[in-house]
Amino acid sequence: MSEQKVNDLVIIGAGPAALSAAIYTTREDIQTLLYEKAVPGGLISTTDWVDNYPGFPDGIAGLELAENMRKQAERFGAVIEMGEVTDVKKEANGNIKLDTTDGEVFAKTVLIATGSGYRKIGVPGEEEYYARGVHYCATCDGAFYRDKKLVVVGGGNSAVQEAIFLTRFASHIDMLVRSDFRASDILVDRLEKEFKDKITVHKQTTTDQIIGEKIDNIDRVTKVVGTDKASGKQVEFQTDGVFVFVGLDPNTGFLKETAVELDEIDFVKSDDSLETSISGVFVAGDCRSGATMQIATAVGEGATAALRIREYLEG
Amino acid sequence: MAKKITIYTTNTCAYCGMVKKYLGNKGHEFEEINIDQQPHRQQEALEISGALTVPVTVVTREDDSQSVIVGWNLSQLAPALG
Ligand SMILES: Cc1cc2nc3c(=O)[nH]c(=O)nc-3n(C[C@H](O)[C@H](O)[C@H](O)COP(=O)(O)OP(=O)(O)OC[C@H]3O[C@@H](n4cnc5c(N)ncnc54)[C@H](O)[C@@H]3O)c2cc1C
Repeated sequence: MSEQKVNDLVIIGAGPAALSAAIYTTREDIQTLLYEKAVPGGLISTTDWVDNYPGFPDGIAGLELAENMRKQAERFGAVIEMGEVTDVKKEANGNIKLDTTDGEVFAKTVLIATGSGYRKIGVPGEEEYYARGVHYCATCDGAFYRDKKLVVVGGGNSAVQEAIFLTRFASHIDMLVRSDFRASDILVDRLEKEFKDKITVHKQTTTDQIIGEKIDNIDRVTKVVGTDKASGKQVEFQTDGVFVFVGLDPNTGFLKETAVELDEIDFVKSDDSLETSISGVFVAGDCRSGATMQIATAVGEGATAALRIREYLEG
Repeated sequence: MAKKITIYTTNTCAYCGMVKKYLGNKGHEFEEINIDQQPHRQQEALEISGALTVPVTVVTREDDSQSVIVGWNLSQLAPALG
């Protein structure tokens, strides 16, 4: 029987946390293999513009920042495989076995850096019209709404930022904010001053249903029904599409049946050295319990995890 | 084997870059239709895919049969290329 290869480190995901860790580990000569199921660079590669990551005084396009991080990690020898990790298990011999869409992979240490995915609102019509009028990625799908009307759901930083991006295309945007803005003052200020003609904000307004019909034999969204919480009355917004930015849920579904302990809202628990409940398995970035969901902090946690992994490997 | 590959893209779409890179790495030539640059071709993408999203990859085989892959979906793209 051929001897199975045991990698020094396998990183699950190739977002900012993962790539930052890989820059550190490869420079320390720790052989590092990353598995990525979607796009190296993670969520930032679908973000239009990043203004709060240090080192870029004028901001930087998310896709460019993602590409830069990937290149930097690869320069030092990180290898990124396209594939999804579906299970993580500690073997009796101390190695960690990962199931992937390409088969089994073994590692001395593992870093979980799977980030998070777009949260759904969970209303009728949302699933049915997915990618046919209901969207979660403005940079991917915004271009289909040139001179069209849109509804944006959400009131956090991403919602405001992406609504502003969508004004490049849309003729008008109704923004439905369930309570009040949670976005930073500087973003809200910009929205209210520079974009008030194009974006109408409806605070205290829930999104209850997305309605559509067949137009020219293609399913299209035509309106959103909500409730104005102040009056309790039903409100309707005629629209050609809906973009949803109501937060993120951790990509940890594949860990539920494993020995990696999750908190009550499914984020991965860790100790001060970012080690999880399985020794040798570490966690960094948006999927970690207590994460602050920023690129800068994901990158910082990635670097910290890399240093802890080095200590672990040195025994 | 594919006779023709067409990809509908936009300037800002990260998943479009993944499809182009994958095809390039596998040595496939393709025609790119960027709907930011050619907005009049957006309707075409919609009619082919039924979806308001990019990338849309259309693989036409020697016998003129077609596969349409919406998004960056390796498990559909790889077999479609034959
Ligand atoms: C619209 C939007 C705008 C944002 N703007 C900003 C901003 O301006 N500034 C800022 O600081 N932050 C911003 N953020 C937040 C920022 O994107 C995240 O904090 C950051 O990307 C977290 O990095 P991460 O590496 O932890 O996770 P992610 O970026 O989510 O990367 C995780 C990667 O793991 C992959 N993955 C998941 N599960 C598996 C699996 N089982 N197998 C293989 N791969 C897997 C995913 O495909 C993904 O590529 C924004 C987020 C959104 C949604």
